[in-house]
Amino acid sequence: MTQGAVEILLVEDTPDDADLTIRTLRKHRLANALHHVQDGEEALRFLLGPEAPSPRPRLVILDLKLPKVDGFEVLRALRADPRTKTIPVVVMTSSREDRDLAKCYELGTNSYVVKPIEFGEFAEAVARLGLYWMLTNSVPR
Amino acid sequence: MKRRVLVVDDSLTVRSDLDEALTGAGFDVTLAGTLAEARHRLATGKSDLVVLDVLLPDGDGVDLLRELRSLPGTPVPVMLLSTEAEVKDRIRGLRTGADDYAGKPYDRDWLISRARALTRSPGREAPAPVVLVIDDSPTVREGLRAALSEAGYEVATAETGEAGLRLAADARPAAIIVDSGLPGIDGATVIRRLRQDTALRRLPVMLLTASESRDFEVSALDAGADAYVRKEDGMPVVLAKLVALMRASGAPSGVEETASLGSPKRVLAVDDSETYLQVLAGQLRNEGYDVALARSGAEALQLLEVQPVDCVLLDLLMPGLSGTEACRAIKMNPAWRDIPLIMLTALDEREAMIEGINAGADDYITKSADFEVLRARLRAQIRRKQFEEENRHIREELGRREKEATEERAARVLAETKASLMAELERKNQELESFSYSVSHDLRAPLRAIDGFCAALQEDCAASLDETGRGYLARVRNAAGRMGRLIDDLLSFSRIGRHGMTRVAVDMDGLFRGAIAEAREQNPSRALEFEVATLPRIPGDASLLTQVVQNLVSNAVKYSEGRNPANIRVSAEEFQTETVYSVRDNGVGFDPQYAHKLFGVFQRLHRADEFQGTGVGLALVRRIVERHGGRVWAEGTPGAGATFHFALPSGDPLS
Repeated sequence: MTQGAVEILLVEDTPDDADLTIRTLRKHRLANALHHVQDGEEALRFLLGPEAPSPRPRLVILDLKLPKVDGFEVLRALRADPRTKTIPVVVMTSSREDRDLAKCYELGTNSYVVKPIEFGEFAEAVARLGLYWMLTNSVPR
Repeated sequence: MKRRVLVVDDSLTVRSDLDEALTGAGFDVTLAGTLAEARHRLATGKSDLVVLDVLLPDGDGVDLLRELRSLPGTPVPVMLLSTEAEVKDRIRGLRTGADDYAGKPYDRDWLISRARALTRSPGREAPAPVVLVIDDSPTVREGLRAALSEAGYEVATAETGEAGLRLAADARPAAIIVDSGLPGIDGATVIRRLRQDTALRRLPVMLLTASESRDFEVSALDAGADAYVRKEDGMPVVLAKLVALMRASGAPSGVEETASLGSPKRVLAVDDSETYLQVLAGQLRNEGYDVALARSGAEALQLLEVQPVDCVLLDLLMPGLSGTEACRAIKMNPAWRDIPLIMLTALDEREAMIEGINAGADDYITKSADFEVLRARLRAQIRRKQFEEENRHIREELGRREKEATEERAARVLAETKASLMAELERKNQELESFSYSVSHDLRAPLRAIDGFCAALQEDCAASLDETGRGYLARVRNAAGRMGRLIDDLLSFSRIGRHGMTRVAVDMDGLFRGAIAEAREQNPSRALEFEVATLPRIPGDASLLTQVVQNLVSNAVKYSEGRNPANIRVSAEEFQTETVYSVRDNGVGFDPQYAHKLFGVFQRLHRADEFQGTGVGLALVRRIVERHGGRVWAEGTPGAGATFHFALPSGDPLS
């Protein structure tokens, strides 16, 4: 995958969830320029490290429960850095906990999606957010 | 601040005597000779004490007393002072509300002491330690007063041993300096008397002497002096010894808060012979006692009803109620039986005297005996009573302290237990919270994978599966969906406990209408008939009650499947302390013998293939209602519908 061409960064440690997400995005032709990392540390290195792609991805799909550096930390770091603070971040998580939701918005997430258990709903949610953030939404370049 | 005393008496002699005595004792004295004058004085200035004669030229002192007692506010203390023609006067005065009653002729020291007691307000006394100086030489008294005042002590002085003892009882000094050579009782005797008095025996006492003799010092210390100082040693030595003495004696223990032997005592003398009574009264008054006189046993009992006394002197042979009978009556009354009672007998009444002792008298004395003997026996009896009271007081005090300590210990244990339970509860709550957090997060992920890959299989590999394989896949997905709902239900069930309650007046009508609209939306093909009566608002948490209402409505809809139309009625009934809401359906109902199982978690009364459900809904309903302090119950008949009720406490929604 060409670094400069990455449009979506998927941060997800569960292979099943990652595959189902990628499969859904692919069905909607949104996965061509997708990069997948499996923990928070890797995500931060990809986005803020010396070899960070330019331009940066247009969307980060972020799980909360991640090994090493969790999703909250990733979100905090992205929002603290001028190079990444405007990148849309969608938190996709299994947690329905109010405190997680509140915390994510405090840290500056653009969206918070609870992963539906039922696959039909899950696929619909992923497709909708992919289409919205990739095609409908505009960000300062 | 000086306390003000108003003296009301028509006798100029009494007025000037009391003026001198009370002014000398540090009171601010105003005088009145008539009731009219007294009323004027009372109207124009506040008094802390009224000393009031009963027989006044323009009326009865008791009338003024009655007027004072009918006034609102803190009553001013009143001491009646009267020539005692009749014990009835004393009884009448005390019943009208006099704080004390003294008979004329009065003893000045007695009266001043009572005046001090009656005007003493708690917490008002200055804590500066008082040193009592007993010396007959004005030079020594004033010399000591000057030196001690300069050293920061309050000083009280007395000229004689007798006066000194009374003052000691009254002023409760921190230390006493007594001269060895005194007129009347000498210094050693004063010390001996102090050591006999439970309230005063721990007082540090220093004996002051002019003598050079060693023997003298030994005998002084034998008598109970704590220190001994020669006058020629000079003031600095006296002061230094005094300081050392007071330091060594330490702080009072608090157990000694009791009346002293030397404090004013009241004696009730009962005799039918007026002559004997007057002689006896005169002698006792000279000794500083307040004497109440009764001419019969009946009068004596009347007097005891209104005024406690410290000793009773009772004539054995009297007309009417005899001495023996009066004695028995006194000793059988729990309030009076501790009062020492001395029987007065004529010489030839030996038999009767024995009878009197048997009736409960504490001592007896023949009338012909010297007054000295009577005085000594009286002192002995009063001292005995004092000791007993002291002992009882100490026992009570110790008992009280022990009880306090026990209570304190119990309270501490309770508090500790409570704190550790709270900590345990807090810990359990945290555990539960992190448990349900990981349930919410971790149990969902595999379910999503199961459902997701089944869906992928259906979509991508449908061609390579036969009908049976596709059927299995559908069942796997169905099961995954059910488990998902179960997890969601369980989570919301566990969340109720952690959910903070926000009590507002909840619009139950709106909640039911919302739930009904939702039910219609979810079952578009069903014929649903709802009848909703007027539903009162109720104090509660709106989001929790929403779950109650939704569960009951969806249950009613679910279990009336197959009825055409399904009829669901919602009603409410208001009672004094609660409101009962009811949801009735015409569905399959249930067997009442299992009614108790309805509200348990995972309890279901129907097979899974009959009605879908996780068995959590009604448990959730019960938990929420109980958190509101309410209750739930259900009635049902198989095949004939069910009614679910929940009662919520009514009351101020803001409280």
